[in-house]
Amino acid sequence: MRKFKVFNDFDKEEQWLERMGSEGYQLESTYFGYKFRLVDPKEKKIKIDFRKFKHSADFLDYITLFEDSGWRHIAGSKYSGIQYFEKIDDQAIDDIFSDNVSKAKRYQRYAHSSLMLAIGNFPLIIFLYFTDIIDPVYFIRPSELYLTPGLWDKSGTSFWFSFIFETPFALLRGAAWTFIPLSVLSYLFFSYKANKRYIQSMIKK
Amino acid sequence: MDINKYSPLTETTYYILLSLIEPSHGYVMMQKVEELSDNKVKIAAGTMYGAIENLVKQRLIQSVQSDDKRRKTYVITEKGIEVLRQDYKRMSHMIRITNNLFSNTDK
Repeated sequence: MRKFKVFNDFDKEEQWLERMGSEGYQLESTYFGYKFRLVDPKEKKIKIDFRKFKHSADFLDYITLFEDSGWRHIAGSKYSGIQYFEKIDDQAIDDIFSDNVSKAKRYQRYAHSSLMLAIGNFPLIIFLYFTDIIDPVYFIRPSELYLTPGLWDKSGTSFWFSFIFETPFALLRGAAWTFIPLSVLSYLFFSYKANKRYIQSMIKK
Repeated sequence: MDINKYSPLTETTYYILLSLIEPSHGYVMMQKVEELSDNKVKIAAGTMYGAIENLVKQRLIQSVQSDDKRRKTYVITEKGIEVLRQDYKRMSHMIRITNNLFSNTDK
């Protein structure tokens, strides 16, 4: 089963995954939404860390350290950032962080990484703008997105038929590129949110 | 090299540095810290990973060659030992004067 959900609070995400686990849904991967496997329902502790790795050896060392201390890595990859762990040893400490500062720092890394993604994608917007793929005229006169000759002179059924028929194409023509600025904006938003959460948890400590 | 900027060390950092007088990898460090501190200081995996990363950046510890391909091995550096020694002196002084004052009031 696959589920699509967006979190900007690791604690809430952990709680949701634990609830899913107690209903028998075991997290398998997070490449495309949350992918679950049906297993026997079990109460298992799940914790999230945020880290990206340049070298595979570092990633392996990281995962092994967690495994040695009773936490199995269940989802996440070298570059994905968000790393999911499940407690497999009853003797292990109940958290993957033993102080609030290091727990808060994962939000700082998340904020930094999102900000880098936003900055990295920004040149694309400028490029799209200068190649006229982003044309502000469409915002002012969206009717120009419709290419059927004489569409706006038609009336009645004939107009509505052509209009409704062409709307998906017009949207595609006018809005296909918007996902880039939208993703930049959402990266910025996530970065802002994560940073706020970092500051909050540092004050709380 | 300004050693004093690391002083005073946190309890966790002090124990981690102590645990690396002999080379070891992350999990062994966690166990050593627990043992050295009489089970008072328990460091979780995520916290330990971040601490190692920081100490390597500050050059108080360094990674060394090992046969274990899955685990990195670390050891304290000269600078790390010097920092540890400074903090030890600082605490020894505190213990000495506290001892003196306490034994004076006892009489």
